[in-house]
Amino acid sequence: MSLKSLTKPWQPMSYGFLDASAKRELRRKMLKSVAVPGCQMPYASREVPMARGWGTGGLQVSLTLLNPRLRVKVIDQGADDSVNAASIRRFLALVSGAPVTLDTLGADLIQSRHRIPEEIMREDQILVLQVPNPEPLRSVQPNMSIARQMHADADYGRMWLQLYEQIVRSGRVMQGAGYPSLVNGRHVMTPSPIPRWDVPKLNMAKHLSILSAGREKRIFAVPPFTRVEPLVFDDVPYRVEDHGGLTCSRSTAKGFFMNEIPQVDGSSTYEVSDSSYGVKTIQNREGDDVEFGETWYKDGEMTQ
Amino acid sequence: MAYVATRGGERAIEQSERLFRSDMGQINQARVAELRHALPYLVDRVMGEASLYDEDLAALALAQTGGELYEAVLLLRAWRTTQPRLSVAGPIQQKDLFTHRRISAAFKDIPGGQVLGPTLDYSHRILATDVLTGTPFMPNNVVPSVCAAPAHQPSVSAWQAENDLLDLPPIEPVQGNDIPDLTREPLLFPSKRAHTLQSLARAETGGVLALGYAAMRGYGQAHPTVNELRLAEAEVMVKHPRGTSFSAGRVKVSQAEVVSKKGEKLELGFAATLGWNEVKCIAAATLDLNTKGAAKGTATEEEFFLYHTEGVESSGFCIHFKLPHYVTFQSSLDAMRDAKAKKAAKGTEPAQ
Repeated sequence: MSLKSLTKPWQPMSYGFLDASAKRELRRKMLKSVAVPGCQMPYASREVPMARGWGTGGLQVSLTLLNPRLRVKVIDQGADDSVNAASIRRFLALVSGAPVTLDTLGADLIQSRHRIPEEIMREDQILVLQVPNPEPLRSVQPNMSIARQMHADADYGRMWLQLYEQIVRSGRVMQGAGYPSLVNGRHVMTPSPIPRWDVPKLNMAKHLSILSAGREKRIFAVPPFTRVEPLVFDDVPYRVEDHGGLTCSRSTAKGFFMNEIPQVDGSSTYEVSDSSYGVKTIQNREGDDVEFGETWYKDGEMTQ
Repeated sequence: MAYVATRGGERAIEQSERLFRSDMGQINQARVAELRHALPYLVDRVMGEASLYDEDLAALALAQTGGELYEAVLLLRAWRTTQPRLSVAGPIQQKDLFTHRRISAAFKDIPGGQVLGPTLDYSHRILATDVLTGTPFMPNNVVPSVCAAPAHQPSVSAWQAENDLLDLPPIEPVQGNDIPDLTREPLLFPSKRAHTLQSLARAETGGVLALGYAAMRGYGQAHPTVNELRLAEAEVMVKHPRGTSFSAGRVKVSQAEVVSKKGEKLELGFAATLGWNEVKCIAAATLDLNTKGAAKGTATEEEFFLYHTEGVESSGFCIHFKLPHYVTFQSSLDAMRDAKAKKAAKGTEPAQ
């Protein structure tokens, strides 16, 4: 027996970039986070060929899950063609040989920054959300170790107080994206900075969502069919963005989350934020044969 | 397909990278060798912050990024991710370091002597502008000392411990693969001693200096005295599968011991890093010295300074704000406009 017979031939990098020990750690932490929904699991978080804060947490999860048959879709702020989404998609395909798609229905794994697609995701799909700040308590407690203790004690009083103060000061809850939500009745998590529009999509969803913060080294998950409830008071109902009545000026899609485009005359037009859905609507209008999935929102209202 | 035609993402990023590199021209072996030769302290700084010791790779990273330091460090760290951990080298004792420079501000003379070694400390900071008009700057030859300093010296803290002035930290019994490794485990608080020292070793020099300086100016409890500052080379001793020990080469290291003189005994702060980087070691050792009893949320609290001196994370997060944020922005605008409308409606209501 020689050393050579025991080792693999040298390669500049492992399949899927991360080495086996990093993937093993991530798999273990993913399982843990599925076992305790919404609870943040610390992980080592290796450096990857992208800057921290640019989706390195989501990237590590995707790299661990990828195989040559898994079809990947990458979204940034709803768009597949955003520069960073294009960059991540190119990298994932390069190091894994995985096929890519822009269509929500055709994807096995969707890595997304700050949006959940408008078409309902299925049991066989995985959503990987990039997370800048995994700690919903950060605004009331910047110290990570104290916040960790607060989660352990389910001590969310300050969180409620913050929401209450917003109502007193501004007449409504002022939280924009990343609305704090109670997962499985136990852990408060940030759903990542998705708009309030998207949070109800996580509640009792058929798909698995994995949320990963590379810079902050925390991973958490919403397993399929798990309760995700935004923190609200009994007498102040949860409110999504007032986009239900808006129409996309390019695709004429109506009743979805929109990007506001300021106009020179002081007015605004709107474009559907889920770019893949917008493209399909245009293609359909032009007579192409396009398959649409069921959408979470119908006529601007959340179904369920 | 009008919508698709506007998809410029892939092409745009390709061209922007080309634009960044267009003025730097060809990167070849000669450029890398020249950078390595001409900028050893920069190479050292990058290797230290990347926690990867390879002068050629560090010089290549500098060449490839045009000297964008944060990018160079990230490039090396990302490369490091792809490498297996083959072996753990033996512990390095201060007395075994091949020492180039070692000074103490605590005593006029110390066992082993003050060894000034290479430094710019006493140079007059005058630009050699003649170089620009065609007169090369040639450094003068070094005249060897008649009585050479010993290559190996004990640490000053060892002498202080012998004289019961200071308690040395307890010796950690863990060895080899059992030593906590920050690159394989998350940093949690209260942090393991190994994680603290590893974090400081790979911390970003400017960040450590900023917070260390804050501690020195008075935001810390302890005023440091440089007990010992050392620039040296360390043998990397590894075990051959046959069982024999051998040196895989030498790496440049720097280390600082600082002490405070408040109680009945001296308190010790320590930091070490790969490469020669004096400012970082003194600042990091000062932070280490100040951690004891530091209040939560202050600059000298371990959690505060270890998180915020991580250069790859801090620089990455800072530049991520360039990414589009229009979804989150839209979400906030919605709440803001509604609150404003509510206020306006309230204002028009008749007084009750």
